[in-house]
Amino acid sequence: MNVIYATLGFLCVYAYVSFASLLWEGIDRKLVARMQRRMGPPLLQPFYDFLKLVSKESIIPRDANKFFELAPVLALATSIALLAYTPLGFEPLFGTKGDVILFIYLLTLIGFIRVLGAVSSGSPYAQIGAQREMIILVSREGPMMLALFAILWRLNGLGVSKPFSMGAFYEHNIWEIGTPLGLIGTVILLGVFMAWLASEIEVGYFDIPEAETELAEGTMAEYSGRHLALFELANAIKAFVSASLVVAIFFPWGISGYLGLTGVAAMVVDLLFHTLKVFAVLFISMSIFRAVTGRLRITQATSLFWTRFLPASIVGVLLLAIDAMGVIA
Amino acid sequence: MNGKLEYWVKVPVGPIHPALEEPEKFIITLDGERIIHVDVKLGYNLRGLEWIAMRRNYIQILYLAERICGICSFSHNHTYSRAVEEMAGIEVPERAEYIRVIVGELERIHSHLLNLGVVGHTIGYDTILHLSWLARERVMDILEAIGGNRVNYSINMIGGVRRDLEERHIRAILDMIEHYRNEVMPKIEEIFLYDPTVEARLRDAGVIPKRIAIEYSAQGPTARGSGVKKDVRYNEKLSVYPDLGVKPVTPKEFTGVVKGDVFDRMVVRVGELWQSMELIERAIDQMPEGKIKAVPKDNALLFQLKKVEGEGIGRYEAPRGELIHYVMGQKGKDVPVKWKMREPTFPNLFAIARALVGEQVADVPVAIASIDPCLSCTDRVAVIDANTGEKKVLTEKDLLKLSMEKTRELNPNVRAKPEVVGVGCPRGDVL
Repeated sequence: MNVIYATLGFLCVYAYVSFASLLWEGIDRKLVARMQRRMGPPLLQPFYDFLKLVSKESIIPRDANKFFELAPVLALATSIALLAYTPLGFEPLFGTKGDVILFIYLLTLIGFIRVLGAVSSGSPYAQIGAQREMIILVSREGPMMLALFAILWRLNGLGVSKPFSMGAFYEHNIWEIGTPLGLIGTVILLGVFMAWLASEIEVGYFDIPEAETELAEGTMAEYSGRHLALFELANAIKAFVSASLVVAIFFPWGISGYLGLTGVAAMVVDLLFHTLKVFAVLFISMSIFRAVTGRLRITQATSLFWTRFLPASIVGVLLLAIDAMGVIA
Repeated sequence: MNGKLEYWVKVPVGPIHPALEEPEKFIITLDGERIIHVDVKLGYNLRGLEWIAMRRNYIQILYLAERICGICSFSHNHTYSRAVEEMAGIEVPERAEYIRVIVGELERIHSHLLNLGVVGHTIGYDTILHLSWLARERVMDILEAIGGNRVNYSINMIGGVRRDLEERHIRAILDMIEHYRNEVMPKIEEIFLYDPTVEARLRDAGVIPKRIAIEYSAQGPTARGSGVKKDVRYNEKLSVYPDLGVKPVTPKEFTGVVKGDVFDRMVVRVGELWQSMELIERAIDQMPEGKIKAVPKDNALLFQLKKVEGEGIGRYEAPRGELIHYVMGQKGKDVPVKWKMREPTFPNLFAIARALVGEQVADVPVAIASIDPCLSCTDRVAVIDANTGEKKVLTEKDLLKLSMEKTRELNPNVRAKPEVVGVGCPRGDVL
């Protein structure tokens, strides 16, 4: 019975996140438009786009192989699977010990599937886009994983029931440590995570693989119709999920406790509050970042990760470690 | 096999590509992200303007010249008028020259603001695009108030201008300059001189060294960005410009260094925005009263031009560089027997294609946008055999051979035998 309830809940979560992530896309476009002194499209434009793309014919290039058609389906499937392990204001529905590792694998897998789809399309633009996506994928995961595992290791020290799981963030949060060194380290890691988030959703500096004016949408160059719609939805969900990770690590507080709610009602209220926090994080990391920066070259972006964010991450982790070991009292 | 496997890809940029405003084609050979060779193909925008012009009289061609290009619509008919005036020996009244300066500089302001936005867009910095085009609306409104149109304002007439500047126009222009000085220019300077993203992307991208700029005869901001002091208004003492104290703007005055990269070209454009505003203010101060047309009646003018035999060359510094029009007239005809123009984009395009070799593919759109290419002006020659449909582009060798044949035909006594000088036009041997 429990499995059936979990599955039903999962389907509800999927429907809700699809809606919320597409809605965020609309809000983002409107907000950026206002920052650029434009009117912007209607709030529901991403929904119209999605519906229109679904109803349109999908053109398959002559040189494409089977994987070209398979990739969007796999990408969407992966992003749905990802939802089972995503903290959404409460512990993930299928959360278990060590699910953080699975979460990161699935998140990276979406990027990898995009690369495979692009390579299979046979278009030179997509090839270059795929190369760039691969390079940036390798560069951005290092600092993020280091920071993530350091935080989880630190939380373990506070005593959690399921080590290295998403649930750990809701039992203890990193700000509870409260020592000056710990706080400084956490703030540095928050910066690293925001940069990682921006590169995960490919905006501003990191709009490199899709680079509209350079590569004509790069990895997505040959996709159209239904296949593009699936990719768009997968990307929107991915943005929501990535931001959820940042929210869960740094801002895990719920409001159901204060309202005295329990059970399903508490979950719904927490989910809505979580959505608000995700929108706030995305507003900083996506809308503002996109409005005030342009795209870097791939070499500059890579060196930014290896020479700025990785050292920043190391420093943050060392501060946390020094604090935990009590070397400096 | 010498051990190293080379994996080269040919990527076509164009004819239709999001980075390009107009159809042109760059075939880029890539080794990873590094560019090995750039091949330029033109001719997608050929409209047969010179053929159309054979069926128009001198005054009708003014309106045709204006429609060669949307951005430099004033430059084209200004240059054409200068060519015809030189051919017919018509003296232009001084007030008309001043009005031409004012409208020409207004056009330069709107063209440069447009280009700054386009370059912002090609590096993915869309906020620059939207805000600089918003700022551009103000000058477009002024041009509409003066000429009645946002784009084709038809100010010029052979031997003068068609519309006088009234007191309210001058007030509006001064208001606009005040607005630009205080509100727009500080922001533009902050973006194009100090913004880290812009500097990271534009510095050391698409570098045209001074030597290449001279060899390929780059024009306008492209040449000045490489440190070549070249400005027709200054070098040729064009019309009343010397009285207004025009000087070629080079990046040295702003940043202290000349590298010849995209950043420097943008700095030149920012400098020219300042310069244009000063020129307009001085022109308004010094503008004398008087008539605005040498020949008030159009049919009298046409009659006068009909009697002219000879040729004339008009030169003018359009926003993108030096523009040249050549007009040849024949007695008894109110149609020029030959009308030919050379646009600044043509030499600039090959200079930038040369400069792109060795750079990254990410620099291609921004480098192309940085010369502000105007392909609708440039496209001219593509020889297509009507019977077979075969397309043939003439190389330097072929052209030399053809011109030698023609010379022999005209004057069999000429014995000189010129030889192919080399690169000249890079399309020569690669096509």
